[in-house]
Amino acid sequence: MRIRAQRDDLADVLTRANRAVGTRTALPVLQGLLCEVSGTTLRVTGTDLDVTVRTQLEVEVMDEGRAVIPGKYLSEAVRKMPPGQVTIGVTDTDIEIEGNGPRFTLRPLTVDDFPTLEDVVADGVEVDGEDLADAINQVTIAASGDGARPILTGVLFETSDDGLRMVATDSYRLAKRDLPGVGLEGSGLVPARGLRELPRTIGAPKVSAQLREREAVFTSDRGSLRLRLIDGNFPKYQSLLPESYPNQVILDREELLEALGRVTLVAEDHIPVKLKLIEGGVEVAVSRQDVGAETEHLAGDYSGADDEVSIAFNPRYLQDGVSALSGDKVRIQVIDSYKPSVIDDGTDGDFLYLLMPVRV
Amino acid sequence: MSWTEPILHVDMDSFFVEVERLRDPELKGRPVAVGGKGPRGVIASASYEARRLGVHSAQPSATALRLCPELEIVAPEHGRYREMSLTVFEVFRSFTPLVEGLSLDEAFLDVRGLRLHFDSTIDVAREIRQQIRSHLGLPASVGVASNKLLAKLASQEAKPDGVHHVPRSDELGFLHRLPADALWGVGPATLAGLERLGVESVGDIGAIPAAALAKALGPTLGHHLHELANARDERPVEPDGEAKSISVEETYDSDLTGVDVIETAMLSHAQKLSWRLHRAGLAAKTVTLKARYDDFTTITRSQTLSGGIDGAHDLFKVATSLLTQLDLRRPVRLLGLGATSLHPSDRPRQLDLGHDRAWDSLEDAIAEVKERFGEGSVAPARLVGRDADRAPGRRSSKSS
Repeated sequence: MRIRAQRDDLADVLTRANRAVGTRTALPVLQGLLCEVSGTTLRVTGTDLDVTVRTQLEVEVMDEGRAVIPGKYLSEAVRKMPPGQVTIGVTDTDIEIEGNGPRFTLRPLTVDDFPTLEDVVADGVEVDGEDLADAINQVTIAASGDGARPILTGVLFETSDDGLRMVATDSYRLAKRDLPGVGLEGSGLVPARGLRELPRTIGAPKVSAQLREREAVFTSDRGSLRLRLIDGNFPKYQSLLPESYPNQVILDREELLEALGRVTLVAEDHIPVKLKLIEGGVEVAVSRQDVGAETEHLAGDYSGADDEVSIAFNPRYLQDGVSALSGDKVRIQVIDSYKPSVIDDGTDGDFLYLLMPVRV
Repeated sequence: MSWTEPILHVDMDSFFVEVERLRDPELKGRPVAVGGKGPRGVIASASYEARRLGVHSAQPSATALRLCPELEIVAPEHGRYREMSLTVFEVFRSFTPLVEGLSLDEAFLDVRGLRLHFDSTIDVAREIRQQIRSHLGLPASVGVASNKLLAKLASQEAKPDGVHHVPRSDELGFLHRLPADALWGVGPATLAGLERLGVESVGDIGAIPAAALAKALGPTLGHHLHELANARDERPVEPDGEAKSISVEETYDSDLTGVDVIETAMLSHAQKLSWRLHRAGLAAKTVTLKARYDDFTTITRSQTLSGGIDGAHDLFKVATSLLTQLDLRRPVRLLGLGATSLHPSDRPRQLDLGHDRAWDSLEDAIAEVKERFGEGSVAPARLVGRDADRAPGRRSSKSS
């Protein structure tokens, strides 16, 4: 194979496909990017078997063919070339990358070792790319990064007549986002790690999505992202959502975020932030034996069955939830200091964040 | 018997070799060494069969093979020794918290706290050897004496696979017949200096006036050797820091099979572990499950939580979720449940979504009953009739 294209275009398709290439891979060949050239198209595939990114670019083709080239070196080498045209070609033994003087030669990996991936059948459902990216950012914050509990590292995609619902939980908090009107079919547990890559790899105004038996497939005019579904049963989250909350406070979202910024200065290391919901707003307090303390009052509307109610949270978890909201207001609904609270924008909208307190 | 010799030095016999023999019983009864096999290989540990032919540790493997051509040299697997060492130390700590490890295979123990449980410290030594032998299948030698110096020398005397007791009344008799370089601090250079003074045995050092020894070797070393040669060693046994883990494990007489049986056994572990954590005032952020299948392959799986736990219900929940990572169709001969990343249990605790406050109150009540009536006074219905301590199928249990 031998092709020529603009450095920036090449760097873009290589870098995006390389995001699927893991640093620790089971098979050496997975360190590589599969580059396939036919007609006038270069198609680049990177995969760690769970996450697969495929990008493509119209290029000037001198020779068709295919090669597997170490992904990190290839994408970095192209990026570091001088601006202008860059040629990538295969010789008998090496890969050559050249343009305007510099020339890299890289050792290829064995093409036949690269896993065979069936082509994507493009019959997904069209979704607004920006909505999807927002939803992904909102729910994946609650997914667990703990590989020992694989089910919690996934985002549940559930579909109904109303649309798509995405849910993630690490067992301490839960994020739920509805995308009404998205007529996806089926359900599945999609790895959060791969989902987070969607905006950066194939993000576009229009994204097509489909849930297949073993994978979730997203395509756009920038390429495709395929995520292998996680096996297992997601916790029955419905039963975790309390039916009603006797107490609630509505605060200015920016003010709360700023206050939490001050809190986290003191509250490293899982020191909880204490909230006391009272008439006129919330008393925020954090203290740490070896550092000191911070307290403040935030004005807000409190309404509740109790005169006041106190609750403590992991400040980072609280911050995550408040940041994930989009409106000007934040509503915190509390039952008591041992039961989950709900954080939302106060409109019973599409997003909610359920957070378990810290027992102090 | 008196309790005037409460310091034990436990030294595992040919530790690496014996661990390899557990893995491969074919190695038993033959001259075996663990060490490098290459041209520059060095022996790390030799079996007694090999030692009789002159093989010893730190010897080049090539020399060892010349001395003993039928010697089987096994490449070292340090991970395996470390893992076994942890288990050995768990046995030590089940006797006393005063355990000072010197290396993977030796430790000092101060056992004076066991006065009410044993007739003598020699009996403690025998019981420790017995437990290490029956639970782990490993030989150990123990020295029993009034201080660390004598205990360590006594364990050398006890080898292989024995106990040596140095009574208060015969300390100098025991010490003085040993060669001078048996003392700590006597290396080749010091030995040469001592030999110029006509010293051969520890007794010879003891016979030199303190001032003369200080003049010959310098005040620090001189004083040090004078003290040692007179059997004086005041250093206490210094435990290796705070408890880093608390665990419960059990090897079963007949292998456990089936999810139900294994879960029930795990429930019993969770109960015990919770009680030990409660007694220590600790909560764990990491819970580790250990299982050994009937073919001796051992698997550990752990889960780290955002907040610490100490309740049996919570521990059991984590344990059962870890059990799903095991192949429960295979017979299991050993099950263990351990707690690490320990911190005081009164620290703030992140609750999880499945948290049911009713369990907290229940566990508080259970702890109160156990405080008053003993650990065995309350148990979950699932364990009633099984009574952990009398159940059939039980072979041994230990905890640390």
